[in-house]
Amino acid sequence: MTGLFANLIIGVALALAVWAAVLAAANKRINRSLLIGAGVLEVMLLAYLIGGVVQMIGTDRSFAKFEFLAYLVGLLIIPPLGIAWAWDEKSRSGVAVVAVVFLVVPIMVVRVQQVWAGVGA
Amino acid sequence: MSVPNSDDDVTTAVNERVTNRGFGRILVALYAIMAIGATTRSLFAIATKFNQAPLAYSLSAFAALVYIIATVTLARGDATSRRIATVSISIELIGVLVVGALSLIDPGAFQKASVWSWFGLEYLLLPLALPILGLWWLRHTRPSEEAVEV
Repeated sequence: MTGLFANLIIGVALALAVWAAVLAAANKRINRSLLIGAGVLEVMLLAYLIGGVVQMIGTDRSFAKFEFLAYLVGLLIIPPLGIAWAWDEKSRSGVAVVAVVFLVVPIMVVRVQQVWAGVGA
Repeated sequence: MSVPNSDDDVTTAVNERVTNRGFGRILVALYAIMAIGATTRSLFAIATKFNQAPLAYSLSAFAALVYIIATVTLARGDATSRRIATVSISIELIGVLVVGALSLIDPGAFQKASVWSWFGLEYLLLPLALPILGLWWLRHTRPSEEAVEV
């Protein structure tokens, strides 16, 4: 649950957050490129959830499993919820909401890794 | 040649006195994130290790409830919601200030960190920023009739 793929998710989410922030600064709305990026991220998060469940089943280690699952499922749900909330906002705040949501993803991925490693139990 | 209104340019001026548009869109999103984060973490803590720090985890659960109320009322934005939001966000501000100060003065007071410990440093100080922004936003979007009334 650590490793390359998690770092890749963090990288993609941060890049999308920067892109959304640039759009907000330029007074733009949510556009096609941002949505495609969000779609790619969503597929990665789905793979992350599936990989996490598989690894969880395959280990005898004890760690906060419910919390682990909650973070993985939350990761999958929060970006679409944020975009839905931002969708019909006419001001630049809409795309700023998307930037905030993409910034939450890396934080949650780090928490997934901490829970997996048994930190903060 | 300039293009005054390209397709995705923002054309609508945001001057409505509502709590859930413009900056309010971001504010509600931030409150929702805090609501989700604080609710799940405090529920897990209460379910699995409540005895380690009953005060801290109860406080976190209370903070979570305040965040849920603020999220819903700011997102709704009607007159009743504004009143409830003002009261609950005021309580939130007092809570984060008191708990934040106590956690600095007497670090052992809460045994474990609550959402409001160190003014919410674990949550990037959002718990300190949100009530200030929230009260400012409620004031900023106050309906003009209310402002005229004495």
